[in-house]
Amino acid sequence: MSARGVARRYGRIAALAPTNLDIRAGDAIALIGPNGAGKSTLLSILAGALEPSTGSISSGRNGAGPRVGWVPQSPAHYARLSPRENLELFARLEVVPDPSERAERLLRLLDLPDDGRLSAQLSAGNQQRLNLAIALLAGPEVLLLDEPTASLDPRQRRRLWEVAADVRERGGAVVFATQNLEEVDRFATRVVVLLDGALVFDGSLEEFRRAPEADVFA
Amino acid sequence: MTKIRLLLAKDLRTLLRSPVLLTALVLYPIIFAALVGLVFRYANDRPRVAFVDLDHLPDTLTVGAQHFDVPRVISEVQGSVELVPLSEREADDQLASGAISAEIVVPRGFASKLRGMVESPRLILKTARGGLSGRVEQQTQALVYALNRRLQDAYIKANLEYVKLILQGGHGTFLGNDFDVVGLDRAAAMLDEIRRTSNDPTVAARAGELATFVRQARLALGASGDSLRATANPIELQIDKNAGRTWLLSAQIQAYALGLTLAFICVLLAAAALAAERDENVVGRLARGLVRLRELVAVKIALAALVAVALGFTIALLFGVLAEAAGVKGGEPWGRLPLLLVGLAVAGAAFGAFGTLVGAISRESRTAVLVGFLAALPLVLLGLVPEGAAGAAWWAGRAFPFSHAVSFFQAALYEGDPWGKLAREGAWLLGLALVFAAAARAGMRRLLA
Repeated sequence: MSARGVARRYGRIAALAPTNLDIRAGDAIALIGPNGAGKSTLLSILAGALEPSTGSISSGRNGAGPRVGWVPQSPAHYARLSPRENLELFARLEVVPDPSERAERLLRLLDLPDDGRLSAQLSAGNQQRLNLAIALLAGPEVLLLDEPTASLDPRQRRRLWEVAADVRERGGAVVFATQNLEEVDRFATRVVVLLDGALVFDGSLEEFRRAPEADVFA
Repeated sequence: MTKIRLLLAKDLRTLLRSPVLLTALVLYPIIFAALVGLVFRYANDRPRVAFVDLDHLPDTLTVGAQHFDVPRVISEVQGSVELVPLSEREADDQLASGAISAEIVVPRGFASKLRGMVESPRLILKTARGGLSGRVEQQTQALVYALNRRLQDAYIKANLEYVKLILQGGHGTFLGNDFDVVGLDRAAAMLDEIRRTSNDPTVAARAGELATFVRQARLALGASGDSLRATANPIELQIDKNAGRTWLLSAQIQAYALGLTLAFICVLLAAAALAAERDENVVGRLARGLVRLRELVAVKIALAALVAVALGFTIALLFGVLAEAAGVKGGEPWGRLPLLLVGLAVAGAAFGAFGTLVGAISRESRTAVLVGFLAALPLVLLGLVPEGAAGAAWWAGRAFPFSHAVSFFQAALYEGDPWGKLAREGAWLLGLALVFAAAARAGMRRLLA
């Protein structure tokens, strides 16, 4: 999956300058940068949730495109539906075979409550896990995570990274935006640094450790 | 289509899980119907009009041979206006301040002219300019008409007394002068006697001719009573107050109650439902190829149409049941329901499409609800502007579905031959729905930003 010259403007404000990014099978790309650097904008464009002002996203598979799972920073589900209802609805919209079975499996995998409570009544951590579950419905080949561990407890963080590792093991890739350099050290194979909407670094974890951009939060 | 159905089912489920919203949806039409009824009722209420009696009318006024209890007559004929006795100065002050709508002045000499029965006395009506003056004028004319109807009986009776005097003879009074009249009956007898007793054949022949004329005149004057009454009332109006629906069940009330309910509920619901997709952060997920943006707009329009049908059907049932229970005639509350349902769906879709435009522009549901309300209120009022009253305002009102919806409902429920109007208003509603939906689709990019 490749982004070629993608940029996004909001009126006069450039949220993302023209950016190139290639995502390859097995990648675990950490997208880092301070607040407002353009990380969420780039992930939204890669997810297809936001149209770029210029540039395009292309696929290496003759335009068929990989299945993309997207976990936005804020929970993106229907507050007045239960987690199961949310999962079944999005599974049907994704045209997943046997949506009920898929929902059941993800409820168990991510240990989500299934007691009829509405999603709005869940804790922030559970809402974030529901967010992840929805992203996993279609069996994504590219998983895009926007600061996914912010409201998760250590056990749930571990579970999240296990899921991400599983996607990579199946030949997929993971791109995650984070401000946590420890997560970068532990889970990234590649690092992309954004500053003021511009991509200023794209290299391996080792290259990043040696690069001046490593102290991006300093 | 399956995706639209899925999201529509989700919206309906969400709606049913909001008890406060559901309660509002049920109460709103009922409150609206009652409010519309009250507005109609008070629109037809009697204006306050001062009654300035400069002639100091007596309690009992004798016109011809009839005696009138003046306060009673006034209280009986003031059905169209509320008469308030005031002095001339008080009345002028209150008219200037707008406390009263008009004043009726009984000038000096009114009673004597009325008693004289030779010259018509005049009442003077003073009104303010504009506002209710036209209506007050009409209602004062109705008041004078009612007074005239009572007085004309006295006038006719008095005139018939004179006719009787001419026929039968006797003592009479006119304009204060006393006189004795021979009368046609006696004149005929006298002429017959002359004809029989006269020795002069010429005198006898002329007396015979005169006697014939007198008999003809008696016949003609004998029929003058009916003729006078017919002349006074060439056309009589018979009022049957039980022939139609009461104001509460009238076609207009029902059509306006439906129109107002849909105008607000469908606009606000569609606007809030679309903006809520962004509030819940879901619109981005859906826009990733799961649902096309125009399908999302279509879902909200379909939601508004469905709610419109459900609420409108309930209101129509309520009106129908009340009409049956009250035993009122007119209208076809049951036979026309299918036509009404079509109108409710099309009108709901048109209002919903306008709501989606508001939702797309507003971007978040609280703003969408506020903007939807602020936009719908003046547009509904514009829809109430009658044709020809204010050209630009009327045309602006036509660009919003309200006036078309009301017109459609009235035609669907009560018109004998509704098809022309239904086709025209239905086309307007569909056209507006398409225009608003297209604009909402164009504005959807704002939701994704």
